[in-house]
Amino acid sequence: MPLWEKRRSALVLAGLTVFHILLISVQVPRGAGKSLFEKGVFFVFSPVQRAASGAVRGIGALWNGYFDLRGVRAENQKLKKENFFLNQDVRFLEDRLQLGRSESELRASLDEFRGSLVAARVIGVDSANPHQTIVIDKGSLDGIDTNMTVCDRTGALVGRTIAPVSFKETMVQLITDKDSSVSVRSVVDGLTGSMTGRSTALCDLRYVLASASGGQPGEELRTTGFDKIYPAGIRVGTIQSLEENDESSPIFRRITVKPCFRYDTIDVVAVLTRGPGGGK
Amino acid sequence: MRDTVAKDILQAFLATLAAVFIYSVAGAAAPGLLIVFNAFSVVVIYFSVRRGEVFGAVLGTMCGLVQDAFSLGVFGVAGLTKTLLGFWIGYISRRIDVVPFTRNALFLLVLSVLETALWVLITAAVRLESVSLHGGLILLQPLVTAVLGSSLFALERRIRAKGSRGA
Repeated sequence: MPLWEKRRSALVLAGLTVFHILLISVQVPRGAGKSLFEKGVFFVFSPVQRAASGAVRGIGALWNGYFDLRGVRAENQKLKKENFFLNQDVRFLEDRLQLGRSESELRASLDEFRGSLVAARVIGVDSANPHQTIVIDKGSLDGIDTNMTVCDRTGALVGRTIAPVSFKETMVQLITDKDSSVSVRSVVDGLTGSMTGRSTALCDLRYVLASASGGQPGEELRTTGFDKIYPAGIRVGTIQSLEENDESSPIFRRITVKPCFRYDTIDVVAVLTRGPGGGK
Repeated sequence: MRDTVAKDILQAFLATLAAVFIYSVAGAAAPGLLIVFNAFSVVVIYFSVRRGEVFGAVLGTMCGLVQDAFSLGVFGVAGLTKTLLGFWIGYISRRIDVVPFTRNALFLLVLSVLETALWVLITAAVRLESVSLHGGLILLQPLVTAVLGSSLFALERRIRAKGSRGA
């Protein structure tokens, strides 16, 4: 009996194991930049992911739009009421802004702002660590490039677009990723530092000198724009805790930050295609 | 014989497509579900018991690579762990009787725990960082996989028994 017949199972297992080990080997060490292989995998599989996500969404829309219409009337009334007050808020803010600038300038800047927004849907999350990256369903054909700011529904910072960017899909690095860094300032006491992720639900505010006073739990942090990626003034998170006398780091204060966005509820995001990081 | 193999390949392909669909539904509903429930493991387990270690290993490779492609992880890690899962399950189930429900559930639990542990270890080694255990949610994955897998076999046996009684 030939060797293949006798040891068929063992040979198949050995072949497949070697194949996988080689496959993993070409991707390590994993750096900040994506290898050609990783980009290739993303280009090939992200449209499949997008199609699967679209099919699921289509079935959900069919159910919600045709079969499950309970409570729609009440929800509609509630939304109309909310919309009324939001319109009033916008009007009030526009009036206030007009004090400083002419209407035409204001309209032009508002139109420019609206034109720079691209709404995208989240179609994939990193299952090994959901606090690192997500995939959205907009790509280079929609004007997306790397280093563009990504915000959630409420306008809070989610992260930035990174490579690979395919025709209709893009990877987004979340601000909770350990390799992410955002220049931020607290709105009350003006503590300025760099917010870095931990690849968990919380982040650190780094490089705030131990001699710097102020800062309290609950204080909001906003982007400064110093990093040339994120525009200034975007809500990032709130201070969760401050340790005054940290022996492990006597020069800097140890500040923990809770990001404003929640990874488990982001379904739609806004990509700012113009701005410091967009390069346009 | 050839018809049966072709039928099983077709069934395995359809089951993988169903797993992709379930994965997308779970991801859209709540990302936490992707941690607790792994539809690809259930597919590999089911067909490995039915068709043996070679079929299990090849299907494990397919399902694992599809899972890797969808989960933004290192391409090949789930492929490797599912290949080993498919092989082990196919190999052991040919040598010991794992038909009774309790024994079947325990057998699937042990191998699912091994698969999850291997996945966590390899991912941590490749990424050079600790893998998020999602507050312990990941520990539920082997349990859910074992319960679903053994329930699937119990259901299949019941349907077959009913069919043979009807005939």
